[in-house]
Amino acid sequence: MLLNRDTSGRRWRIRPDGPGKVTGELEYLTDLSLPNMLIGRVLRSPHPHAYIRSVDVSKALALPGVHAALTAKDVPGLNRFGIARPDYPVFCEDRVRFIGDAVAAVAAESDELAELALAAIEVDYEPLPVVDDPERAILGDSPLLYEEGNVFHRNGYKFGDIEAGFAAAAHIVEETYSTPRQMHTYMETEGGLFVPGEDGRLTAYSPTQHGFMDRMQLSRILAKPEEDIRVVSSPIGGSFGGKDELNVQPYGALLALATGRPVKLHNSRWESVRAGLKRHPMKITMKTGVDAYGRLVAHRAYVIADKGPYSTLGAEVLNFATEHVVGPYRFKAVDVDTVSAFTNNGMSGEFRGFGGNQAIFALEGQLDRLAALLGMDPWELRRRNLRRAEDPGPLGQPISVTGGAGQVWASLEGSALWRRRSEPPASAPSAPWLKRGIGAAYVMHAAGLGVGIPDPAGGRLQLRGDGKIEAFFGYEEFGQGLIASLMQMLIEMFGFAERDIVITIGDTDVVPDSGSTTASRATSMMWQSLRRLRGPFAGKLLEAASRALALPAETLAIGEDGIRGAKDGRLLLSYAALAGAAGQPIAAQTHFSYPTSPVDRVGAHYMYSYSAVAVEVEVNTLTGRVHVVDQYHAVAAGPVVNPQGYLGQIEGGSSMALGFALTEDAVMSGGHYLTKNLDTYLVPTIVEQNGAVTVDAIEELPEGDEHGPRGLGELGSVGLAPAIAEAVYQATGKRASKLPIDPALLQEPIRFN
Amino acid sequence: MIERAPISADPSAKLNINVNGREAVLDVPPSKRLLHVLREDLGLTGTKRSCEMGRCGACMVLVDGKAVNSCLAMAYQCEGKSVTTIEGLSEGGLTPVQQCFLEEGGYQCGYCTPGMVVSVTAMLANDPSPSDADIEEALSGNLCRCTGYGGIWRAVKKAIELKKEQTG
Repeated sequence: MLLNRDTSGRRWRIRPDGPGKVTGELEYLTDLSLPNMLIGRVLRSPHPHAYIRSVDVSKALALPGVHAALTAKDVPGLNRFGIARPDYPVFCEDRVRFIGDAVAAVAAESDELAELALAAIEVDYEPLPVVDDPERAILGDSPLLYEEGNVFHRNGYKFGDIEAGFAAAAHIVEETYSTPRQMHTYMETEGGLFVPGEDGRLTAYSPTQHGFMDRMQLSRILAKPEEDIRVVSSPIGGSFGGKDELNVQPYGALLALATGRPVKLHNSRWESVRAGLKRHPMKITMKTGVDAYGRLVAHRAYVIADKGPYSTLGAEVLNFATEHVVGPYRFKAVDVDTVSAFTNNGMSGEFRGFGGNQAIFALEGQLDRLAALLGMDPWELRRRNLRRAEDPGPLGQPISVTGGAGQVWASLEGSALWRRRSEPPASAPSAPWLKRGIGAAYVMHAAGLGVGIPDPAGGRLQLRGDGKIEAFFGYEEFGQGLIASLMQMLIEMFGFAERDIVITIGDTDVVPDSGSTTASRATSMMWQSLRRLRGPFAGKLLEAASRALALPAETLAIGEDGIRGAKDGRLLLSYAALAGAAGQPIAAQTHFSYPTSPVDRVGAHYMYSYSAVAVEVEVNTLTGRVHVVDQYHAVAAGPVVNPQGYLGQIEGGSSMALGFALTEDAVMSGGHYLTKNLDTYLVPTIVEQNGAVTVDAIEELPEGDEHGPRGLGELGSVGLAPAIAEAVYQATGKRASKLPIDPALLQEPIRFN
Repeated sequence: MIERAPISADPSAKLNINVNGREAVLDVPPSKRLLHVLREDLGLTGTKRSCEMGRCGACMVLVDGKAVNSCLAMAYQCEGKSVTTIEGLSEGGLTPVQQCFLEEGGYQCGYCTPGMVVSVTAMLANDPSPSDADIEEALSGNLCRCTGYGGIWRAVKKAIELKKEQTG
């Protein structure tokens, strides 16, 4: 189905959180303030790598109006955080390993005073050699970040006889691909308000992607029971993975407890750049062989990722890349070797696409280069090697069966944009230096956290005393439309009216732990939860109504505004009256885990979504600039839960891929950022995004499928980049293996004939 | 452009400013940015803080009817001016521009949306039927990281259409 407002009909709804957003009335957590609050600021290292000889905060503390100046010795619990492996220092004790590292934090009566206090803190550093190249970092003569060495994580995957494969190949392509240090660039920088309660509890109003994970980590840092900490974590002004790890929360919490006053932190953009996560820059070397018919006979891949100084989810990202450099193709032999290296560069971490963006850019580049050597249509080459529905996953693991791979292939093949390739151009280019080309890419992208990683899900429904149906989920709204999707499912799966429903998320005091809002999992897990809750919750409502009305339950149905006659739909009992009659809360709760593949390989995935992306570009060979003219996205991710949200994920995700391909790079030199703000870090504007975007949403799933809507949140952010690279090649004959594409590569001297 | 007002040498000088139709006399330093005056002194947090260097447009407000990045305007430059924030635009209920953003899904996280709505409002006040190139120019200073601008294009086109229908 071509997905747009018209084809969505009545399913295209106004988001419940929309009015507050367009009027500015919605208060983000960084908009909150209290009359007696202090401003918190963090002192970060000016050096990418140095020993700390001493830290002296006495002059800062002596300033009137400065209420706290904290360092490592003021952390009562674990002076570390990190979701997978807590190795990120809240405050560095004796060594800094990147320029985002925190050394001290202050709370003062104004921002100006807090800044003055930071300047008054005396830190004596002894600079160390800077490790800024991941390839050199893992050589024997590199300076070390850790005594154990600079290798953070290794992975790999092998099957088949790789040498025999290459020996039998008719064509072999060897290429090295490089991808940029992409920044999430959520418009709301990190921040929040941290409020100590008179009862000894602490409330952290601060964006995160998993409130309970923050609560656990804060508990560990503060040496305070989890029950004494409340994390309020939505709404959020964008995250994309970037607010998954703790950021300002440890400082806000420690300062609030130290001063006994509310403390607000809100990072400047520069502080967000220097301390925040980025997409792992990767260098991917591939050697891929194909026989004369176009069968992929051998595929070798070596991935090296720039980890930066601490773990974050870097191991999981590398595992994901290991899986996705193999992707959807039926190779005869595969040999993948991946490594992630500690450096003194910026912090890499989780980011929409999670290692798939880099891996798939390289993999699709190989397919396009091989097709050119074969003289074959690149899409036909993909067809000849594409997985069948029942095939195992990229790591040989059983995966959920769908026909998505073939469906998106066929959709793109039949699209008007793709067919235009073989037609003469409708009109000559408007200038001789403008060249057009069309390219396509294929994406098979996993969702969920994978084998061996706790991946809980669940939620609760409750009829409140006032007759509202309240849905409680531990997921976060960072813009993706999670609240709207939940509302739409409650209406469509239960028959409630929007006015019947109250949605409560993002508050650890009241929601169940539904797991993280990451890995394209939340909508799938809400759908699964509601499917499990539908029977029990409707049953309890009808049972109570049956008692109240003295009518058999089977003659009743739940519907808009209350209990209705099953046959005539007449309203018999409002939900408020039902709540009154029932006397006690009617509720149902479910708890389960994201489905996983039955294999013993950490991180292997079970659920996949598919997309095929075609793009037409116009290259200006005078400036070297690439303009995206038209995009076509075929997406197979199961039923469309929320049409506006679905379209928004593909349009918005592809805009990130456009930036990844053409303009975005947080440039570093010697461990220092050269791009410090949005004047030099260039995210797409409306000018770059003025072309058409057509989305074909393929909803069909195999008979008896139990998993429903698949992951969508990351899928759209992957395929456009390799498709742009191929389209640029078709336009100019030049291959870009490094992103963002350097305009200098595409510039041609002006010729006067 | 904002005209430069003379910098007062008198530290007790007050800022006289009209915000959303109401006169205010504020005791703020002349160099304080309008963004912070609005958010901190007046509690108008619909105006958002993001890059603070005039690149992203999240802090866009109208100063005497013209779209201005409030992060780049200092208090003294606003002396005697009339400022309209997103809250001011919304006082009489949803404007047609806001209604179009709502219906077309011209927002996701919503953090850029107040600034975006202000810029679109200013653009349409200046020219009720802008071309695509005019729209690009008027909105190129408003970054949206979530939507890829698809819903924003739809919302703006719809708003232009509505305006045409109204003016017949």
